[in-house]
Amino acid sequence: MEIELLSFGKIAEFITIKKLSIDGISDTDGLKKYLEDKFPQLSEIKYKLAVDKQIIQKNRIITDQATVAIMPPFSGG
Amino acid sequence: MSDKKIKNIFVNGAISPSFISESIAKHSSKTEIGGHSIFLGQVRKDEIDGKSVSAIEYTAFEDLALEKMHEIRENIFEKYPLSCMHIYQSLGRVSAGEICLFVFTSSAHRKPAINACEEVVERLKAELPIWGKELFEDGSHQWKENK
Repeated sequence: MEIELLSFGKIAEFITIKKLSIDGISDTDGLKKYLEDKFPQLSEIKYKLAVDKQIIQKNRIITDQATVAIMPPFSGG
Repeated sequence: MSDKKIKNIFVNGAISPSFISESIAKHSSKTEIGGHSIFLGQVRKDEIDGKSVSAIEYTAFEDLALEKMHEIRENIFEKYPLSCMHIYQSLGRVSAGEICLFVFTSSAHRKPAINACEEVVERLKAELPIWGKELFEDGSHQWKENK
């Protein structure tokens, strides 16, 4: 399946791709593992995923054409 | 979530003192108000390893941030008897010494305005997908972390 990737903050410095073709991955836990293997820097920092603008607290299914945001800790204000 | 329109909170660059004073002035016709509480966040010239922060560059996942802010706004209005609440957060570059966050709450008596203002600031910092990049005078940078 194809997903759209949005990277923010310091994560945007090392994950610059906007689209990802992945097979055999169906949920956010699987995607996290895939991303951490592909981008080892990601496994060294805290981050959260949001799928279609829903912040992920526990494992969730990802469907084709989903938009997944990868977000480091927030620092607004 | 209610069907109330989602308000924008983002402004490009620093929030000017004249914008803040105009916001205050606009409330003179709302005579049921007895107290305002205002929080202003200012970019601090932190020193890290002998280098000082000259500006912060803010970015956000704007859609998600505005949805989340809408949810917080609704919660706060349910929790406190407020007359009004205004929130502005900078995006883009804000120099040290300039204002990057403006939270303004008003109520008939002071306590709800004060408590709501504090809660909005805390929740905004913790829950909104906004990131500050601290720019140093020598061109290097580091990513801000909220304490």
